[in-house]
Amino acid sequence: MKKKVLSAILSVAMAATLLVGCGSAAEEAPAAATEEAAPAEEAPAEEAEAPAEEEAAPAEEAAAGGGTYAFVSKSAGNPFNERQATGFEEAVADLGGTAIIQHPEAPTADAQITVIQSLISQGVDSICVAANDENALQAALEEAAAAGIKVCSVDSTVNVASRLTHVNQAGVTEIGQCLMDAVYDITGGEGQWAILSATSQAANQNAWIESMKEIQAADSKYANLELVEVAYGDDEPQKSTDQTQALLQNYPDLKVICAPTTVGIAAAAKVLQDQGSSVKLTGLGLPSEMAEYIGDDDAHSCPYMFLWNPIDLGRLGAYTSAALVSGEITGAEGDKFTAGDMGDYEIVKAGDGGTEIILGAPFKFDPSNIEEWKEVY
Amino acid sequence: MAGKSGRTISATPDKSLKKMLLSWEGMLLVLFIAINILCKCISPVYTLTNVLREMPKYLTEIFLLFPMAYILLMGEIDISVGSTVCLAATVACLSSNAGVPFIGVLAIGLITGTVCGMINGFLATKFRELPTMIITLGTQIVFRGIAEIALGDGGSISLTNADGFRMIAGKVGPVPYMFFIVIICAVIFTVIAEKRVFGRNLYAIGSNSRTAFYSGVKVNQMLFISYTVLGLLAGVSALFLTSATYGANTTTGKGFEMDAIAMAVFGGISTAGGKGKLAGGIISAFTITCLRVGLGQINMNPQVILIILGALLICAVLLPNISQSISDKKKKASRA
Repeated sequence: MKKKVLSAILSVAMAATLLVGCGSAAEEAPAAATEEAAPAEEAPAEEAEAPAEEEAAPAEEAAAGGGTYAFVSKSAGNPFNERQATGFEEAVADLGGTAIIQHPEAPTADAQITVIQSLISQGVDSICVAANDENALQAALEEAAAAGIKVCSVDSTVNVASRLTHVNQAGVTEIGQCLMDAVYDITGGEGQWAILSATSQAANQNAWIESMKEIQAADSKYANLELVEVAYGDDEPQKSTDQTQALLQNYPDLKVICAPTTVGIAAAAKVLQDQGSSVKLTGLGLPSEMAEYIGDDDAHSCPYMFLWNPIDLGRLGAYTSAALVSGEITGAEGDKFTAGDMGDYEIVKAGDGGTEIILGAPFKFDPSNIEEWKEVY
Repeated sequence: MAGKSGRTISATPDKSLKKMLLSWEGMLLVLFIAINILCKCISPVYTLTNVLREMPKYLTEIFLLFPMAYILLMGEIDISVGSTVCLAATVACLSSNAGVPFIGVLAIGLITGTVCGMINGFLATKFRELPTMIITLGTQIVFRGIAEIALGDGGSISLTNADGFRMIAGKVGPVPYMFFIVIICAVIFTVIAEKRVFGRNLYAIGSNSRTAFYSGVKVNQMLFISYTVLGLLAGVSALFLTSATYGANTTTGKGFEMDAIAMAVFGGISTAGGKGKLAGGIISAFTITCLRVGLGQINMNPQVILIILGALLICAVLLPNISQSISDKKKKASRA
């Protein structure tokens, strides 16, 4: 009997701790909301008034034209995604709205669905998502659209039925051409090369890889280049490292690895440089992570690489969300809008039959500018 | 009373309210209510409609809980079930895209799951000396491997015609069809565990498999049936999961086995077998679901939610042990 009483007391204590812990969180939230919504007013000290304030706050924000804009990333701990989130937050702050940034618990579509369902419950105004799977979010995003939420994708697209428009870093062929030229240049025009990608179902990765293959097949100047393998590191540092080592072992004549993913390129750079390998690297990478590997001499594994500005990408995602919510654009081809201080953008037709907004051409990072950019992101 | 920790079966059921509240299941029920009150307090959008709308994702895992609880009660385990879900979803999607009528797709999904379960059951009964943890670790890798091959280069397939799946994702008012099926399963599985010979035998096997065998319990047959039923319900889970994602990919069903085991353990079902009640598992499943929905609605970082769930799970496992050791000490002290 005593055991039971004891365990009952313990579990009640556990529940009580939870209640108390979250109770204080609930108190903080309305206080913060009050500060944002009514800076002139003194925040009420009494707890009793707090819930009423909380309910009033969203209404006030809506009246001020703010709105709640949500951003769903691919996963936590992805530096590229986190910079996008930062940009998204900045732009939403400029617009005077509330940003909700959500990193799903796992880099899967399932985990993103959970987050999206929760955002629908919260009645946000827009959802901007970097998708882990092109098609798997359709049911959830259709439900969001039915609830009046404006949906767009950024970075990695969702299918046409799920979105109003997509914010693209750069045109697929532009990136494919850039990377292919880099491979051509670094190999000297002949020899074996390999691709180290993220997950095998990442839409953006697959589109770029497909584009590179097409460009290689279309022009005879690439005839002496041989793509030996597309390896998948799943955007996990350890798996990317393992895949790089496997490539080195399986293809002793390999000249270049092209990794169009920030996680993959950083892992590969470390492997190549640590082993003093003669294999060179290029692709898409974050300057801050890649600075120590970029250089023209043999001691550095990466002569140059590309990327666009993920902060700007996030910002453009936020401005697009806001323009969709305000009704300035509908996501149709030919719609034009002004993205804050980023200038004017036009919605164009995308390769998959939907529409997209293109941020700009990829930017080249080489030994001449890497020092400056590694401080930025 | 067979035991006082509230986690063993009692020969003479005691129905007094006080006893019920002090049982593990009773405390879980209190915790369930507390969590709901808590969620209501912290999230202004924690309404029945919203909770039911967000629930399907978690319901797909609850299907697996029922037969998993049976297997755990027998002192065995199945960690391959997430991969079974992935394979069944993949095969169902492929057959749907190949033009098989929807009723056929449903049958194919269920059969795929069942066959996977039968393979597990066969291996588990033929090689009793091997731990089922290892057997199902093997099949986990094999099933997912087959699914990944079937999924092809892209690692993801989507339905070309999702009409049938849209239908099974339907709702009666705010309540998804799936919810009713989960409740029906819950009732059937609980009745069998509590009121039928099969259920009694589960506990007998879990307490001492050899004794049960020599007492005439068909241990192998029961194991085989339980693994097969788990496979079947993995098929059900896969079909409903497909109805939420209109497709399958290499991460479909990942981690489902651990979530199902966690629900069972939190519900007081011992992984060593023979202890716990399915009712506890069911209450804990809904408690966890409500907690995740509520915390999700206040935009708590999903990683933090995972930490909270992990901590709760450890508490749930430790509590009975701590209270046991304290009362043992007291007994010793009073004797001295």
